[in-house]
Amino acid sequence: MLELSNLTLAEGRVAHLDDVTVSFRKGRLTTLLGRTGAGKTTLMRAIAGLAEPDRGRIALDGKDWSRLAPWQRPVAMVTQQFINYPHLSVLDNVAFPLVRRKVPQDKAHEAARDMLGRVGLGTMIDRRPSQLSGGQQQRVAIARALVKKAPVVLLDEPFVNLDYKLREGLREELVDLLKAERETIVIYASTDPREALQMGDDVILMAEGRAIQSGEPQNVYARPGTTRAAEVVSDPPINLIGMEVSGGQLRLDRLADLPAHALGRDLPAGRYTLGLRAHSIRQGGDLSARVSLTEVSGSETVTHLQAAGQSLVMLERTVTNHALGTIITLSLDLGDALVFDAQGRLVEKELVHG
Amino acid sequence: MRTLYLALKYLAVLLWSAFVIFPFLWMISTSFKTANAVTGGAKWLPWLQFEPSLSGWQSLFGGVGGINILKPYANSAIVTLSGSAIALVLGTLAAYGLSRFTFKAGPLKNGDITFFFISQRIMPPIVLAIPFFLMLRFLGLLDTLPGLILIYVAMLMPIAVWVMVDFFNSVPRGLDEMAWMDGCTPVTTFLRVILPNALPGLVVAAMFCLIFGWNDFFFAFTMTFTEVQLLPVSIVALNSSVTPWWSLSAAAIVSVAPLAVLAFVVERFLSRGGLAGAVR
Amino acid sequence: MYRQKYIFLLPGLLVLVAIILFPLLFTIRVSFSSWDVYNPGLNWIGGENYARLWEDARYWEALTRLSVLTVGTVLLQYTLGFALALLVWRDIIARRFFRVLFLVPMMTTPVVMSVIWRTIFHESLGPLNPILDAIGIGAQPWLSQAGHAFAAVMIVEVWQWTPFMFLLLLAGLLSLPNEPFLAARIDGAGPIRTFLSVTFPMMGAISVGAILIRLIEASKLMETVYVLTSGGPGTSTETTSYYIYIRGMRDFQIGYSASLSLTYLIVMSVALTLIAKALIRLMVKDRT
Repeated sequence: MLELSNLTLAEGRVAHLDDVTVSFRKGRLTTLLGRTGAGKTTLMRAIAGLAEPDRGRIALDGKDWSRLAPWQRPVAMVTQQFINYPHLSVLDNVAFPLVRRKVPQDKAHEAARDMLGRVGLGTMIDRRPSQLSGGQQQRVAIARALVKKAPVVLLDEPFVNLDYKLREGLREELVDLLKAERETIVIYASTDPREALQMGDDVILMAEGRAIQSGEPQNVYARPGTTRAAEVVSDPPINLIGMEVSGGQLRLDRLADLPAHALGRDLPAGRYTLGLRAHSIRQGGDLSARVSLTEVSGSETVTHLQAAGQSLVMLERTVTNHALGTIITLSLDLGDALVFDAQGRLVEKELVHG
Repeated sequence: MRTLYLALKYLAVLLWSAFVIFPFLWMISTSFKTANAVTGGAKWLPWLQFEPSLSGWQSLFGGVGGINILKPYANSAIVTLSGSAIALVLGTLAAYGLSRFTFKAGPLKNGDITFFFISQRIMPPIVLAIPFFLMLRFLGLLDTLPGLILIYVAMLMPIAVWVMVDFFNSVPRGLDEMAWMDGCTPVTTFLRVILPNALPGLVVAAMFCLIFGWNDFFFAFTMTFTEVQLLPVSIVALNSSVTPWWSLSAAAIVSVAPLAVLAFVVERFLSRGGLAGAVR
Repeated sequence: MYRQKYIFLLPGLLVLVAIILFPLLFTIRVSFSSWDVYNPGLNWIGGENYARLWEDARYWEALTRLSVLTVGTVLLQYTLGFALALLVWRDIIARRFFRVLFLVPMMTTPVVMSVIWRTIFHESLGPLNPILDAIGIGAQPWLSQAGHAFAAVMIVEVWQWTPFMFLLLLAGLLSLPNEPFLAARIDGAGPIRTFLSVTFPMMGAISVGAILIRLIEASKLMETVYVLTSGGPGTSTETTSYYIYIRGMRDFQIGYSASLSLTYLIVMSVALTLIAKALIRLMVKDRT
């Protein structure tokens, strides 16, 4: 187990890491999910020894890493940029980490050739990295990271600079490759909630340099602990709507007044925030809203709407083209709505469903 | 209008070309003259205006009225090449350190240390001449090759640092960090990963070192007397009242020729855009 | 963790400190002594040398002359170098040939070429005066009259170092992005307007760099003068470096020349810093 405790790293007044305590388990892929600037890259660089934390401890199986230089840490890393050694052939690139670790040349080449075959580059071993496409270059980088069988593998948004189609394909290949590594701790940074939820065995949500929630993806998605976590884990963005509960009435700010039983549970009177996922807003109903943006992606349509000064996002599982500026009617499905208290913490449903 | 513009353009290029070539043509022509051809007023064309002779060229190897140029030539080559090589090694190492790691000495940081290196180029040679002179005398290295090499290292290292800091700053740090992840210490990273990829920068730096080293006259002149003579000094020594212009020209040609060839190398780098970074 | 970093920096730094910094500090001490050929050694005479140089008209004249010469030649070199770079930048026949040719002078040894120039400027035997005669200008007393000798030094400096300016400016031109020029073409701007509103502004930072490097190098001027005119006729082409050389290395007034050279260094550093600041304000639009 890789344990980080109280990791803090600030540059001037900006806290890149703020008291992060998390752990990563062997044989599992953990995704770090957060927006750009949330501290994911800094966290990985701290694990690799490339960034020096001001405070805190990093330990693998109880062994402290604080005094280890980057080249002494058993870590492999793939970054957003496609970084390979320009002066070496693809084969020598992948063999390089082994040769540096005193593996005999022929053994190193054998392992490298094997790994290159597994990433689909078996026929290109004599080329230079500059003669490869972006996707192939990143495959070389991945092969180089995996060939040394490091107990910790860091993948920092490895596919973000590739086009969409390639990204999907490579992600699946990578998941297959990693299945073979049963003892490896794999950490994968991502800004894309869907990617994180599909790939990860575990997920850690990050925002403003803090680890705000961790757990199994389905669990984290279904029950984000705070409004912030709900924002990070939802794609398209979750609708957060101010809500007042009093005397058997739910008043959604500027939108609607509903009977209390619409939520299917009892709430004490007070201020709340309602978290409504985009797929819970449907077309047709008694709310009206103006279309301000429509994006079609695959077979889904995301529509941004304005209703009485409140922005809403609606997801439809069809391809629909709403003309800009038209008024459409909506209804809200509160069936799986999330409720947060005045401090933004999740108000759990009674555990009726088990 | 367009034709006039083009005509002016080519006229300008040809005029400047004539200005550039003028001294070279004169020097080549003169190197084949004898006393008669020189004293009768300026002449350019061999056979038509004067009877060409090889005496100027023969005098380079100890002929009449000339000098033996082999010794100074070898001296210049030794001092320039070893001075450049040492300056390049020390300068490249320092530039890599300054580009990749943070150093602090009291209030002084990386930028100040880099400036200290490069600012040595601002120092007029004459300011350093006296302390250099006294230092070499103290070390017993006055009028010796090692003494000159030492001075050339100090003179050329700032150039190497200047070019190489700029070059290393353009190499992504991610490359170094990848090497560290792959088990290289900073020293092996430098040797195995950075150096093999630094050739373009090294060529530019080496070129500038060679140019400034080979073309130096001042230190070669002030730090030597009789034992060691470098090429420019021996040529200027010919520049006396009874100047044998033919020997002078022949010597000038052989002294200038090797570096003039470097212009081709520079142009190649220029056309490939390899020099742009060195300016900013 | 990164203790190896000193392996990179220290060798070069220590060598430079040993070879340059210590001697320089020593020079400061020497400038307060009367070390000369009769009394070699470090005595203490206070600021006497500095009082003497304050009164030394020849020194200040040389410094003024050097300033005029430096600024004059560098401006000429910049104008010519820029023009040449523009000429061989784009569509021209035998572009690479002319580029190589224009670079050659900076590769040649200045003193050696100065020796050749001296024969060219020779009033009766040199090739220059016959040519001037033929085109109706008439023969000139190149090296025997003050004004002419000054011009001769400038011609040689321009021949030798315009290529350096040309090199840096052409490298700059070749690194410019293409889009602004396309935009100017679409706007229908002619070559002159394109130059004034696109090329020149984008070359601001590079121009400042190139001019400063040349100013620094030109302010050290002495070798050309030594060979071409020996500072003469009289002291009419004597530069600061050359005057200090005469006092120090020929008259062997070590103490006095130390004070001269330190004053020179300070004056040059201050002047160059001020010029650098002014140029950057004037010519660099986006200070990044």
